[in-house]
Amino acid sequence: MTKLEIEYLLPTWSEKLGIYRERVRNFWKIYSTSKMGIVGLGLVLSFFIIAVFASLIAPYDPYKFVGPPLLKPTESYILGTDHLGRDIFSRIIYGARISLLIGLVAAAISVGIGTIIGLTSGYFGGFLDAVLMRITDMFITMPTLPLMLILASILGKGLINIIIVISILYWTPTARMVRSQTISLKERPFVEASKAVGCSDLRIIGRHIAPNVFPLVFANAIITIVDAILAEAGLSFLGLGDPFQPSWGMVLHYANLAGAVVHGLWWQIIPPGACIMLLVLGFALVSYSLDQILNPRLRKR
Amino acid sequence: MGMREYILRRAISSIITLALIIALNFFIFRIMPGDPTRTIVGDVRLRPETRELLRQQFGLDKPIWVQFILYIQNLAVGNLGVSFQYKGTPVTEVIFGRRLTNTLILMGSSIALALIMGMILGVIAAWKRGSKLDVSMLTFTLVAYSMPVFWLGMLIILFFGFYLKLIPLAGTVTPGVEYSNFFDYALDYLHHLIGPMVTLTIIDIAYYFLIMRNTMLDIFTEDYMLTAKAKGLRDRIILFRHGMKNAMLPMVSVIALTVIYLFGGATLTETVFSWYGIGRLTYESVMMADYPVLQGIFLVMAIAVILANFIADIVYAYLDPRIRY
Amino acid sequence: MQVLEIKELITHYSTTEGTVRAVDDVSFDVGDGEIVGLAGESGCGKTTVALSIMRLLPQGGRIIKGKVLLEGEDLTSKTDSEMNRIRWKKISIVFQGAMNALNPVLRVGDQISEAIVEKEMTSKAEALKRVNELFELVGLDTSRIKDYPHEFSGGMRQRVMIAMALACNPRIVILDEPVTALDVIVQGKILDLVKDLQKKLNLAVILITHDLSVIAEICDKAAIMYAGKIVEYGQILDIYKNPKHPYTEGLISAFPSITGEKKHFVSIPGEPPNLINPPSGCRFHPRCSYAMDICHKKEPPSVDVGEGHISACYLAEAGFKSSR
Repeated sequence: MTKLEIEYLLPTWSEKLGIYRERVRNFWKIYSTSKMGIVGLGLVLSFFIIAVFASLIAPYDPYKFVGPPLLKPTESYILGTDHLGRDIFSRIIYGARISLLIGLVAAAISVGIGTIIGLTSGYFGGFLDAVLMRITDMFITMPTLPLMLILASILGKGLINIIIVISILYWTPTARMVRSQTISLKERPFVEASKAVGCSDLRIIGRHIAPNVFPLVFANAIITIVDAILAEAGLSFLGLGDPFQPSWGMVLHYANLAGAVVHGLWWQIIPPGACIMLLVLGFALVSYSLDQILNPRLRKR
Repeated sequence: MGMREYILRRAISSIITLALIIALNFFIFRIMPGDPTRTIVGDVRLRPETRELLRQQFGLDKPIWVQFILYIQNLAVGNLGVSFQYKGTPVTEVIFGRRLTNTLILMGSSIALALIMGMILGVIAAWKRGSKLDVSMLTFTLVAYSMPVFWLGMLIILFFGFYLKLIPLAGTVTPGVEYSNFFDYALDYLHHLIGPMVTLTIIDIAYYFLIMRNTMLDIFTEDYMLTAKAKGLRDRIILFRHGMKNAMLPMVSVIALTVIYLFGGATLTETVFSWYGIGRLTYESVMMADYPVLQGIFLVMAIAVILANFIADIVYAYLDPRIRY
Repeated sequence: MQVLEIKELITHYSTTEGTVRAVDDVSFDVGDGEIVGLAGESGCGKTTVALSIMRLLPQGGRIIKGKVLLEGEDLTSKTDSEMNRIRWKKISIVFQGAMNALNPVLRVGDQISEAIVEKEMTSKAEALKRVNELFELVGLDTSRIKDYPHEFSGGMRQRVMIAMALACNPRIVILDEPVTALDVIVQGKILDLVKDLQKKLNLAVILITHDLSVIAEICDKAAIMYAGKIVEYGQILDIYKNPKHPYTEGLISAFPSITGEKKHFVSIPGEPPNLINPPSGCRFHPRCSYAMDICHKKEPPSVDVGEGHISACYLAEAGFKSSR
């Protein structure tokens, strides 16, 4: 058989795409029966809409000082103002953008790094694998939040820095999973056949192993998004976020500085935290439903 | 003997990881862009000569390799350097002592409580899958998992401290009070412990519950569970003696992992509650750019985690009779 | 007096693909101290019968109709707690793949003594004495009571399971594929053990297997199952010398004989049917070389061809003569 012919017989990206479209349709049929999945998806989409249309929804510019500081909720300022006189409601609306942005970007980078490391480690094995796994283990044993704090303090405040800090630490679960999947796929006959015909390693990884690893990576990505959003919230709360961006964590940070808790300024505390919770809950529900579907043992009869 | 070899292998592995972390610990702080001398004297315009003197005093002027050797030498004798923010106090004094004790008490009590409750509830929920208990626990788990831990802390202070006035608003003990005996002191301490401990426990229970439940569901598909039922044994015996005993194996590894996560949770919680512990120290040191203390904290945490993992591996080998041979 | 009587048992599983009619009108008896074989291909419903008797059906399984009389008591109408009192004391079971049926983290002796302590309300010390006796009975070294399951070989684990099944002196034991995963020599030893126990304890046994040669070795009676139904039933010699159903004939001739003339190897063509939608009429008709018109229209009745030898085939009545 020629190289072309063997390539034609083994699963490739274009074939996989066709199969995917069919699978996605079937998948949606099953997914839509899960109440939790729909609720989760609804939550996520709602926040997306809020983020995109923030300028239409929010009554004030979140960056400007539009009123007297530390007001209680009134008619003109639904959730009052913060210590600099900015409208809290508007800040929360715009906060959706920051949280979603950071969550998705940081998760994407994390998963990207994890996938590359996992593929490389699993496919090439040997010394490279041992070294990468040793490094991965090291990252796993390090307490993440304190480390992120330290890194953030070194790099300084700011959105990009937060994204970097989160991405550096959250790739490990993906790496491990991709690696074990790659190892089991590596043993399959179609990989041996590709090698025998002379396909380069890169080609094998890219066209044959990667597509089969993708569903797992996708499921993992959602969990990483959850972790990234919570991490950003934590870092911002401790003051390491961008002081000019109205991320929910920052809103809570300033609330804490203004003594919101000891003075009972609940309107500064409850809404931003609730938003974080609902967004994370949305993704978590989606992840839970995906897990139910993909893991046959947990499925009910 | 298999067990001894196993322990040896794990010990070597842990030591290697520890060595890597020590090296990492050192080099991270040397990449810092900021100037630590600013922390030491505050933001005062220093004459270059004075600044240079300070740098010499803290050994910051020597080449990096020399600094590294010095660092290792100091480490070997237990000298972790001197704090920047607590002018001249040795780092070991700052970290160990009251702070470490407080954090250990906080983490220890919440892990213990969360573990016991989470595991038992997990077993029962798995057994009565789909029941009201199961569904409500799952919902609770999902919600607790989604809540940022610091927000939960703030809510607890708000409701139970500010509105209901049941718990204090901050701190480890009431400031400025003198105690006539240890009992009163302990009572006040415990009163202050409730808030942060409950916060951490709620987050932890969710995690342990979920893992236990899923592990038990897997175990239910095993043959030996059917055998136990065929023997006509009581439900309780089947669940706990046959099922949970097997579930403990993966749980042990999970518990070690949560210690890692808990350090982060403790940091946030201690900050919210102004609990005088390592977590809060981390936050303050970050704010003050007190790198020696941060290095020390990082080292302590890493050692704790490596130790926890090592102990978990040993316990696992002890619990699973199959590994010893 | 019959120890166990199964009368017209019907058990179904409800699954996402449909209802699986795993056991469809099965009847047979087990007499005092009798070894009855239940034979058939994988998936024909043998294990379901066993699970139905013990009332250990998984989620989705239900006994639709029929009676299971254990010493006269109907087990199908009992509640779970009532069954718990009966399980292991009157009837016990050794599951298929006994290798995994032992709890890996508990000592073997403890797993056996636990049944005795719980069911007979004895002390642990007394229970352990009995465990020693049981070990001797099944031919195991009593010094190994404190060992863990993974320390035993397959054959020895099987003996442990048998010892455990006998812990509370049941009247009848169900053995589901007891020797399938073992090599031939160990197989022989285990079968000898079962025969020995039958003699010593007057033990009744239901021996479930797909291997007819195993049945031939130690069973007194046999029930041949196909697709959830019993197609032939009777004394072992009758069935072997005079099979009255094409399926039985097929099973018997699937084994080449070392002695005797060389014959053509006859295996049964085709696959076992889907039990959600079984074939019409006689369920075996698609694979039967004798199939007639009526076979796929109407289900054949079970006829007695003499001395309790029963066959569910139209040809049996007409005096089916095996072509062997």
